[in-house]
Amino acid sequence: MDYVLPLEHCGRSVLDRVGGKAVGLWELLRRGLPVPAGFAVTTHAYREFVRSERLDREIRWWVERARESVDAQLEASRRIGQLFTERRPPAFLTEEVARAYGQLGEPPVAVRSSAVGEDARTASFAGEHESYLWVCGYEEVAASVLRCWASLFSPQALSYFAHLGADPAEAAMGVVVQHMVDAQVAGVMITLDPVTGDPSQVTVEASYGLGLAVVGGEVTPDRFAVDKVTLEARSSRVGHKTVAYRYDPSQGRVAAFPVPEEMAGQPCLRLEQVQQLAQMGRQLERELGRAQDVEWALDGDGRLYLVQTRPETVWSNRPRAPLSNPEEPMLSRILRSMRIPMRIAD
Amino acid sequence: MAAQTVVHRFPSPFEVPTPPGAEGWQRMYPYYLLFSEENRAWEDAMLWYQDGIHHPEVLFPFDTISHEAWRIALGQNNSRIFAIPPAYGIEQRILNGYLYITPVPVTDPKWVEERVAVFMKRAGHYYQSWNLLFDRWKEKMTRLIEELEALPVPRLARLDDEAVVTEARGMSTGWKLLEAYGRLIDNFFVAWQHHFEMLNLGYAAYLNLYQFCKQAFPGIGDQTIAQMVAGSELLFFRPDDELKKLARLALDLGIADRIRQPKKPEDVVAELRQDPRARPWVQALDEAWRPWFYFSNGAGFYHHHRSWVDDLTVPWAAMKGYMERMERGENIERPKEEILERRERLAREYRELLSSDQDRATFDQNLALARTVATYIEDHNFYVEHWHHTIFWNKMREVGDRFVEGGFLDDREDVFYLNRHEVAQALADLVATWATGGRSRGAVYWKREVADRKRILGVLRNWSPLPALGPVPAEITEPFTVMLWGVTTERVREWLGAAGARAEDEIRGYAGSPGVAEGVARVILSASQLSEVQPGEILVCPITAPSWGPVFNRIAAAVSDIGGIMSHAAIVSREYGLPAVVGTGDATKRIRTGDRIRVDGNTGVVKILKRAAS
Repeated sequence: MDYVLPLEHCGRSVLDRVGGKAVGLWELLRRGLPVPAGFAVTTHAYREFVRSERLDREIRWWVERARESVDAQLEASRRIGQLFTERRPPAFLTEEVARAYGQLGEPPVAVRSSAVGEDARTASFAGEHESYLWVCGYEEVAASVLRCWASLFSPQALSYFAHLGADPAEAAMGVVVQHMVDAQVAGVMITLDPVTGDPSQVTVEASYGLGLAVVGGEVTPDRFAVDKVTLEARSSRVGHKTVAYRYDPSQGRVAAFPVPEEMAGQPCLRLEQVQQLAQMGRQLERELGRAQDVEWALDGDGRLYLVQTRPETVWSNRPRAPLSNPEEPMLSRILRSMRIPMRIAD
Repeated sequence: MAAQTVVHRFPSPFEVPTPPGAEGWQRMYPYYLLFSEENRAWEDAMLWYQDGIHHPEVLFPFDTISHEAWRIALGQNNSRIFAIPPAYGIEQRILNGYLYITPVPVTDPKWVEERVAVFMKRAGHYYQSWNLLFDRWKEKMTRLIEELEALPVPRLARLDDEAVVTEARGMSTGWKLLEAYGRLIDNFFVAWQHHFEMLNLGYAAYLNLYQFCKQAFPGIGDQTIAQMVAGSELLFFRPDDELKKLARLALDLGIADRIRQPKKPEDVVAELRQDPRARPWVQALDEAWRPWFYFSNGAGFYHHHRSWVDDLTVPWAAMKGYMERMERGENIERPKEEILERRERLAREYRELLSSDQDRATFDQNLALARTVATYIEDHNFYVEHWHHTIFWNKMREVGDRFVEGGFLDDREDVFYLNRHEVAQALADLVATWATGGRSRGAVYWKREVADRKRILGVLRNWSPLPALGPVPAEITEPFTVMLWGVTTERVREWLGAAGARAEDEIRGYAGSPGVAEGVARVILSASQLSEVQPGEILVCPITAPSWGPVFNRIAAAVSDIGGIMSHAAIVSREYGLPAVVGTGDATKRIRTGDRIRVDGNTGVVKILKRAAS
């Protein structure tokens, strides 16, 4: 039983052991795309922890309570959380983590939840599980793993369990530990036009610092759109980026820094960088067979990293009827196209 | 039109004042092309826009023949022949010397429906046999050109030729002159009858692909669709290819230095004709001459758009440029294969993005038809506006000669200050008084009139035509307006100035050809200045013509005042892989030679980065 697997070994066959995020990263890695090195903590580790610490009954009890009210849900989430976070990481976990972390070179890392079970295709759990950034030292890493596990029982997750009538004893969570990208600029990319669903566009949103500001909606990011085939710019809108999350060495943690006013309104990516991202997005979509929703970061040396990919769900899950009928006579098509009125004023 | 909501309003054509000094301009043009009290109610209900794509310049009275010819030809094909269901033709009016146009919609829904069946049958006939009919079209057009070339414009002598008697013609040279003018005008109108025979059907097929792509890929660029369709063997690249051939031959024969002599090109050619060493070159020139040098330096719509056969300056400079580049070991060939490869890649990759097999099948069919009709859309201009019109305008100069000989005009070029009906009247006057020996009124009348008209046109040339007149409806149902004239929401908004105060250093137009380039601007107002363009500069011009092709070999990007996505500048730039912004309206007025500018062919924006020191 592996408690820890390098990302290179997180293929589809171990999806239920490492979670969707880890497999997503493996998909990127095996295509030679730039992904920060790292490893996954498997659900075996989670289950071993719950078993050896005998948390099972207590979790189930709190999950039952959570059904009663919103307040009970918050209470339950907090109490289950304490079950994880107020314990010292067990020796089996600390040892395994220390070994894998040592092999990475003991860098600052990001520790992220990698949910198992609910496929991101049907329900996007985006943002509902915690991530811990700039974690240093194997003990801190192991402690962060416990915190990730605790986030399996966030208030949102609890209402989701209730909604699905799922058994919390069946739930488990993988965790991904990756080299921390010292992001100067970061954001998201979606391999279509989120407004119209146009599949021939790649849309990139970007802001200064870590991706938190974009994902959390704290800034109006820059939005760039390029043509997926030609990579030509289609549109760009420079946002107002007032906050950047960066590592603050004086506090030893990530903190929000104000962005100087003269930078806030400047575009934070160059067209070539958007195109470089779009090219990766195009490759991913083509090989994975569906539109992707990607998180990325640009480090201080101008290197781009992809830190997460998952299937796009909004447009991709919409049933799409064919736009046309190839049996329709050409002349009738031509007639229709001539009769589409052209709006010349709003 | 009555049911349309009016959302904005430009000035009424009846409110626009005559520029001081241009009073009486109306008499230069046919009565039926003027806004009039008789038609005021109808004319005031239409949106008119200045046809900056085809007729941006103030109109010489005679040159109204060009747009009159397409007024009939385009109209009849839409309205009466192919019965394009929602569209009649394009109406025209002249205001202060500039051409304004408005599409005429079919408003009766019942009549629109009745036209559908007619259109299906008639248009179907053409689409089915497109290539065959295009071959026949070329034969027809070539015959018409041969007739035009063969048409004499006879000189009137004091005594008629003896052959009139010995051949018992029973008809004077004077009458032959009148007849020649009639045939000349007929020939011109017939050329335009042919011009529109297949054109709007071609555009309709293109529009079908265009609308499908826009539906499937709302953000796809117009030019990307155009690139999927464009061929690489367009006729209007052919003259340029001939120059490359001549440049290569000159180097091979070792006559490059003789060609480089600082003499008039025509004199150099005459010298080379005497030189046995240059014989293959002279032979190649003679072979290329007809038709490839019947190539206008402008759009061909105006008499002053001269062609290579009239003046070798432009092709000569281009040829010398090619010689230099070949000597430096540069490749001067158009990247034909790359363009074809790109066209196929675009089509393949967009096709893959479609979400169903049905849509892929539809796409294939629509694309195949659009490519079939594209050859006509791309090549018809060479026959009509270049080859035919080069000859036509020169035949009219011969008519001008007859007036000079008869004392009606001082200069053959003055004939273009008379409209075509007035030329017929003046010829009637000339021939009749040649016959009677009496006094013609024209000898005094026309010289005075031409002098006055030169003054009036000078005033009108400095008038900035309003971009549009009349009420703006919410939508236009005329299917070709958007594609041919680029009338879109954005454009109308710009015309209205509703976009707010425009940035001084920013000029907006259409994204004509993708890519971004920075460089030093070179403002070129006419073909005669083309030799000033330095390698790596950005060409800024009112409009480009196919014969400017050679200059695209050394520029970094192109910007034009006039033109849409299917304009020559856009097509040639795409062919050469240069960024282009077309249809800016006034780039040549706002950019100065020496300014450092950035041309963004993806967004259609030109930015002035640094002004030239003045």
